[in-house]
Amino acid sequence: MVLAKAASGGLGMPNLPVAPFPGHPGLQSIEALQRNTREVTLAGVVENLLKPPSLVAVDGEPGPRDVICSGTFEEVNEHFIAHELSDGLPIVPPTVEKVEAFLRFTDRGPDEVLGVLLPDSRSATVWSVAVNGVMAGCRPEYMPVLVALVEAMADPAYGVEHSGNTPGGETLIVLNGPVIKQFGFNYMQGVMRDGFQANTTVGRFWRLYLRNVAGFLPHKNDKATFGNTWRVIVAENEDVLAKIGWPPNCTEFGFPAGTNAVSIGRYTGGNHISSVSGATPEALLPYLADAVVRQYSWQIMFTVGQGMGTLRPLILLSPIIAETIAAGGWSKQDLKQKLFDHARMSAREFERILRDWTQKPIWDLAEEHKAGHIPKVFHESDDPKRMVPLVFKPDDYMIVVTGDLGRNSCYVFAHNGVLGYPVGKEIKFAARDA
Amino acid sequence: MTRSTDGKYRALWPRGPRQAKVKSLARRLDTLEGKTVAWLWDYLFRGDEIFAQLEEGLQERYPGVNFVHWSEFGNTHGSEEREIVAALPKTLKAKGVDAVVSGMGC
Repeated sequence: MVLAKAASGGLGMPNLPVAPFPGHPGLQSIEALQRNTREVTLAGVVENLLKPPSLVAVDGEPGPRDVICSGTFEEVNEHFIAHELSDGLPIVPPTVEKVEAFLRFTDRGPDEVLGVLLPDSRSATVWSVAVNGVMAGCRPEYMPVLVALVEAMADPAYGVEHSGNTPGGETLIVLNGPVIKQFGFNYMQGVMRDGFQANTTVGRFWRLYLRNVAGFLPHKNDKATFGNTWRVIVAENEDVLAKIGWPPNCTEFGFPAGTNAVSIGRYTGGNHISSVSGATPEALLPYLADAVVRQYSWQIMFTVGQGMGTLRPLILLSPIIAETIAAGGWSKQDLKQKLFDHARMSAREFERILRDWTQKPIWDLAEEHKAGHIPKVFHESDDPKRMVPLVFKPDDYMIVVTGDLGRNSCYVFAHNGVLGYPVGKEIKFAARDA
Repeated sequence: MTRSTDGKYRALWPRGPRQAKVKSLARRLDTLEGKTVAWLWDYLFRGDEIFAQLEEGLQERYPGVNFVHWSEFGNTHGSEEREIVAALPKTLKAKGVDAVVSGMGC
């Protein structure tokens, strides 16, 4: 009810009637579900179909360049917290001088609209990017990175409108290109840890922009059951990539190596895989494949069901793991193929998870294959013990090399499928800075 | 918009302008008798079972009501949701739908 009311307002229908259902259907017996539907929901549906909805007035809002608060640092912060415009940490007051300083680092006009973001249906302007960048504590020169991120956020393929869904997945931003060293992004030990200004403030910017412009506020449009704090930027170790001849992550999105680029994807969780040991890729593969499978249960509904081929597992490899795999003659593409071939579960288990745990109407692999919805690899026989992949194709795997130079670790992210599909954008500097 | 010159911060609004204007909702029906109601589903939260119960309940109250099953439209919350939602006006018209019940949220 809360989400429906909040989301319908952003779509221009604040008086859209909603029929209540008591409790959560997922935890009710058939009898309780039937009783609740008949005794409560039915009356709401009838009323909503027959009774004209009440008219509502929409409150006015400040203009994009309006000063909404004037005061000391503390007073400004109190105002922003009281009006739900802050994430709870102190913000840098976004004054016009600071915003203009950011705008000097882009050739984009301040009123240029990068997209319209659901659920609030607000214009993502270059101006608002600068305002939120100031608030997050970014340096003005980060502005081109921020613009690229909002372009990615606004890409329909990413699906920003799903950012407040139940699993509370959080976006991971991967950075490529010379900009990593230019701005001092951490791409080595502790790459996902806060404590590095560029990684931390740009990561904070992402969540502030989701809040202030897209409109994802906890207890309103953000219905994450638990949620996560925003993630800091993960920059790739392009020195190691160059050494082993593997392409950087930006090539997944059509940008050649050496391009300054951001990519985003939403992940519901992940796990650190320690002590990945072995002198050859063949020795390392079983542990890696097993780690991938263990991260995926309900998320396979993004492979077959809700998402249909939109699951894209992301694996971070520490440099010495990548170097060992490459030294054995495997390319990044080879590793993707091996994960596709070996990170598998039985068809019986795959169907059981979809049928019994996700309670979705799509779970029969034979039926879906016959209907042409999924590849043949999911139904090469009727043997329930046959092993099926987690994804549609090897290229659905994404591999990023980063982290501690001296540790043999990996990190596997559980992807949120179509509700945060990976998207990449080039970072474009102002002509004078290019 | 004035500049900060007196030691105080003049803080700007961080949001963007809303683009969605308030829309008029569809006129409500006088009765469900003889009307066609469509179910739209996001394939979540046991909507298939709940819709079946609602359908039975509505049929008891309005014996002449007709229904269009959710499977006629596809998943409104999946990889094809944009295409499915964009096609709705045409699809609903083609199926002679008078009213829509869309679920499930949580």
